[in-house]
Amino acid sequence: MDVHEDTSIAIDVEDVSKQFRLGTLGEHQRITEAISSKIKALLKGGTSGASQGVKDFWALEHVSFRIRQGEVVGIIGHNGAGKSTLLKILSRIVTPTCGRVGVRGRVGSLLEVGTGFHPELTGRENIFLNGAILGMKRSEIRKRFDQIVQFAEVEQFLDTPVKRYSSGMTVRLGFSVAAHMEPDVLIIDEVLSVGDQAFQNRCMGKATELGTQGRAILVVSHNLAAIANICCRAMLLDHGSIVLDASPKQVIDRYLQGMRADTGRVNWNTASAPSSDRVRLHSVSICNAGRQSSSHQVDIDQPICIRIDYEVLREDTINTVQVQLKDENGVYILSSANAPSMSLTQDDFFSKPLSVGRYRTECELPANFLNDSRYVISLFLGPEIGKPTIRCENVLAFSVLDTGAMRKEYLGSWYGPVIRPRLAWSTVEAPL
Amino acid sequence: MVNQINRQAKDDFESLKYYGQPDPLGLRQLKEAWDSRELLLSFFQRDLLIRYRQVFIGVLWVLVQPILGTLIFLLLFYFMGARKLSQSDATVFWQDASVILLGILMWQLVNNSLRDATGSLVNYRHVITKIYFPRMLLPLSSLLCALFDLAVGGVLLVPLAAWLGHSFHWQTCWAAFAAVLWLSAFCFGAILWLSSLNAQYRDVGYILPFLMQIGMFLSPVVYGFDRVENSLSKFWQIVYCGNPVASCIGLARWGVLGSPLPPVLGLMLAGLITIVLVVSSLIWFQRSNQWMADRI
Repeated sequence: MDVHEDTSIAIDVEDVSKQFRLGTLGEHQRITEAISSKIKALLKGGTSGASQGVKDFWALEHVSFRIRQGEVVGIIGHNGAGKSTLLKILSRIVTPTCGRVGVRGRVGSLLEVGTGFHPELTGRENIFLNGAILGMKRSEIRKRFDQIVQFAEVEQFLDTPVKRYSSGMTVRLGFSVAAHMEPDVLIIDEVLSVGDQAFQNRCMGKATELGTQGRAILVVSHNLAAIANICCRAMLLDHGSIVLDASPKQVIDRYLQGMRADTGRVNWNTASAPSSDRVRLHSVSICNAGRQSSSHQVDIDQPICIRIDYEVLREDTINTVQVQLKDENGVYILSSANAPSMSLTQDDFFSKPLSVGRYRTECELPANFLNDSRYVISLFLGPEIGKPTIRCENVLAFSVLDTGAMRKEYLGSWYGPVIRPRLAWSTVEAPL
Repeated sequence: MVNQINRQAKDDFESLKYYGQPDPLGLRQLKEAWDSRELLLSFFQRDLLIRYRQVFIGVLWVLVQPILGTLIFLLLFYFMGARKLSQSDATVFWQDASVILLGILMWQLVNNSLRDATGSLVNYRHVITKIYFPRMLLPLSSLLCALFDLAVGGVLLVPLAAWLGHSFHWQTCWAAFAAVLWLSAFCFGAILWLSSLNAQYRDVGYILPFLMQIGMFLSPVVYGFDRVENSLSKFWQIVYCGNPVASCIGLARWGVLGSPLPPVLGLMLAGLITIVLVVSSLIWFQRSNQWMADRI
């Protein structure tokens, strides 16, 4: 912020709010829907119609901020915090319910790579079409045509219809066109995470380069490392409001704290519990194996136990439990279920008809397996693996604490790797 | 240097452009559309390119369609006994052919633009919800395509003019161009209404084919205006001509072929209806823009 005090304001957001309508009553897309919902309401004794009323939902509430030229600003927040809505308002796609947005100069928004690509058109034709949609003039596209093609590495396929491109090529071509549009204000949604690692690095480089050229850039990403690297300022969005507007490091810390505030346990009451017609969840908790009390922090050198309590509501219910693990950047680490072929131990209740009552399924992750980082669990319950009737995504977060048991010899950073298992190492003398 | 920057920082807010300036008559959106005419050209180009990809005879379809249409209706004409083959000579035949061809060319402008434009916003919703550009360009590009068809199909009139010789009216040819311009204005208003309504109520897309069928018979597409004169009273003739499509076709035929001119009152009524349609469509389209991305 310090560096950019003197430059002009590029984006001015004044008290912007956006309201969406949930529920269907009063805004039926079709008259048949309106009639069928009336009939349903009648059959249920006329009560459900009233209870189903329109719910107003504020995706953004009183958001105000200013961004100066040359600033690269990151926005982070949980799913549903309003990030995408904010970007859509800034790029003028969506009109705010109240408040106003002003920008200086040309706005380029990149909410999706390759917007408007037509599969029947060739690469060359699509470069011109996509460039024009992004707001470039024909002469500009012609001038930068060779750079665009070179950046995307599609020279040989220029006259091939895009429908015959691999998905990687399409994405590269899309980003390449966007990267060469040189707007005064650039708005980017989660698109830096496309393509392979080498391409991503080049994208990052391009974004940083645009920032140093005095353009204002606004980035939304779940990739915290990327935010920390390329942004000079960050904002934390939560439930439609900006909670913190500070340096990327402060904002990321705060964001992670929010996740860490969990007690390592989620309890549901009967009304709010995720349930199907046969099974209802009671709680999910996490702890080091052998301990009773749950904790959001577990030690790296102890096995980690994921405990799921649930109730079977009907006789002869067949139930399977599946657990998924992701890291804090959303990288998918593992998925497992209580099926015999996936389990070290025998789960006697797997695929057996269960009688009514309460059950507890536990899953143990080995010690010295995860790195010292934060992880998120998703749960899936259902009669068959892969066809869950209860889905609880990102239900619980926990962090693995580095107790030092694994770093007696090396004191540096372990930042980066997803897992940190102990492997079998040996060195022998092997004379030739 | 620093002073300069500071001064720039002072008038910070002056050159900021705020979204959603009041635009009650929807005129600002016209300027915006004009400013991004290059994008309109790109859309137009795309539509033309896509239309004839993997089509064997390609652009020739633009010529084949009106020729086939004319032939079919001409045959129907003779078949139903509207003209006796024995009493007709070559001139009458070509005159009939040109009356129908002109009607079909004009009707195709209406039909193609309305048909393609109605779905244009909905078919492009994945782009509309991802990026901003003047949304008017999408239906407009369909209109341009229809005009392109008309221009190419108009070439067919040249050999007809040669056949007809002196009965082709060169002096009043301008009336045909005026009629095309007028008809384009009518289509412009209609497609703004239809495309934006279709964005919320997909019913529009379903009902349109039926409306077009009715419209085709309510306009002198495959029959001459003389039939209207013979079968309707003066009052109903004016009402009939209140349909801008009918008036435009009548005007064009009068200009090129010397057919009877529609009643002046009818032309005025049609003009008034066109103006009301265009103005209301601009106002409506501007309003619908505000919820377009939310509801499409």
